Amino acid sequence: MTPGDPVPLAGVQAPAPGAEALQPVIVVIEDDRAMRLACLKILSRSGLQVETFETGSAGLEAVSSLKPAMAVVDLKMPGISGMEVIARLHEIDPFIVIVVITGYATIDTAVEAMRCGAFDFVPKPFSPDELRLIVNRGLEHRRLLLESQKAEMERELLKRRFITFVSHQLQTPLVAIHQYLDVLRRLENPAPEKTREWLDRCLARTEEIQAIIKDWLTLSRLEGGRLAHQRTRVDLTATIGEILRTYEVMAAAEGVVLEDRMPEEGCPVAGDKNCLSVLFDNLVVNAIKYNRPGGKVSVSAESTPDEVIISVADTGIGIPDKYRQMLFGEFFRIQDVRKTPGTGLGLAIARRVVSEMGGSISVESEVDVGSTFRVRLLAWREPAEGKDA
Amino acid sequence: MDSQKKILIVDDDADFAEAIASFLEANGYRVFQARNGDDGLKVAKAERPDLVLMDIMMRERTEGFFTIQEMRRTPGIKAVPIFVVSSLYSQVPGFRITPEASWLAHDAFFPKPVDPPQLLEKIRERLGEPAAKGVTP
Repeated sequence: MTPGDPVPLAGVQAPAPGAEALQPVIVVIEDDRAMRLACLKILSRSGLQVETFETGSAGLEAVSSLKPAMAVVDLKMPGISGMEVIARLHEIDPFIVIVVITGYATIDTAVEAMRCGAFDFVPKPFSPDELRLIVNRGLEHRRLLLESQKAEMERELLKRRFITFVSHQLQTPLVAIHQYLDVLRRLENPAPEKTREWLDRCLARTEEIQAIIKDWLTLSRLEGGRLAHQRTRVDLTATIGEILRTYEVMAAAEGVVLEDRMPEEGCPVAGDKNCLSVLFDNLVVNAIKYNRPGGKVSVSAESTPDEVIISVADTGIGIPDKYRQMLFGEFFRIQDVRKTPGTGLGLAIARRVVSEMGGSISVESEVDVGSTFRVRLLAWREPAEGKDA
Repeated sequence: MDSQKKILIVDDDADFAEAIASFLEANGYRVFQARNGDDGLKVAKAERPDLVLMDIMMRERTEGFFTIQEMRRTPGIKAVPIFVVSSLYSQVPGFRITPEASWLAHDAFFPKPVDPPQLLEKIRERLGEPAAKGVTP
């Protein structure tokens, strides 16, 4: 590869972290033949694929096809200097891990090399174990780099897609309001009942926008991880009892009975209380909204030593199979917006909360019979004494 | 004037459709509504509208496209003029629809919100009706 070539994206070109761990390639660039052979011998024994090169230019040439995870580079070589080799290697793969070999007299240079992006250095002479230790640390560093790079790319993609959806979802009610008002001012003598009805609809759609913004803020706070990272003991019997009491009036208005079957002795899980409240709040509200007069919402728990499974069951309209997959996505709605108000974000929030807490969420449903949402969470364990929490 | 012309609005947003329907009715059209592509197709077959206003993103993100495709294949409604009325696809670069550069034949594209007089003018033009009648300023 010449310097003019595009820099490959590590996430695309580099092998997957798991695959690389099987037999990572290490390039050794070292002008001293004895030292090259020593490195080859030591590292090959650790099950690594080692390729050695006498000069910087030969090594650099091979790097684009070998795609090594690491390079061990002697700093003092004739031809291209070790320092330049480091810079060029990083141009080719920004995530390559570089270890420099240096003599006693050039520790300062080694420090300089690290400032230029080398990961570590081995002073000559070194023992096989010293080299192996540093190389293993380097490989672990590489694995972490690639993982975080992949996660970062995924987050970025999700974020972009999410913004598109949010703007569409905000725009839909805005368009409806705009359209009502624009037509209203153009109609000659609109009937007063019609004007009244349209203004009411405009108000309802304004509330829809407000609800979306509120949910969106909740989601972005969750995404920042600020709410979810502290896992403390949360008693779900108390949390869910509170939520069910909050919605008693709303449920009664819909003709729906709320049934609290949470264990009386308490139901401790590890998580964040606010997040879990948001989660079960959403599930309970859905179970009421998508129910029918005379229906029931029942919340219960099963525990194993490791996990707690909370079931929120309704006797509502159910979810057709074909929608099951999209259900937890952002802005997915089954209903005509006019029949049942909602932002389409509730279950996306639920899914995100659950994944932040190391749990999972699933649904079983039969059309016209009802749906049961199951949330698996980590059971709370008292931290063992004398150990780090 | 001959008998009332029929317009079908296929849009999952009942409020948007209601506003546009009222405007068109006030201007002398008979308006039918459908909330999704399948119903739109059914109404189109039954009522043989003179023109269709089609939303794109309904239950599925591209539902309107497939409904248009289906209409173009259905005897009797093959040639009905279809105006695409959509907000999402007017904003996403690369998904921009223009009447001349679309992979699906339709007759006009209106970003939401729609300017009612402009819509009316295009409808009249397409249906070969004289301009300037009815309520618009």
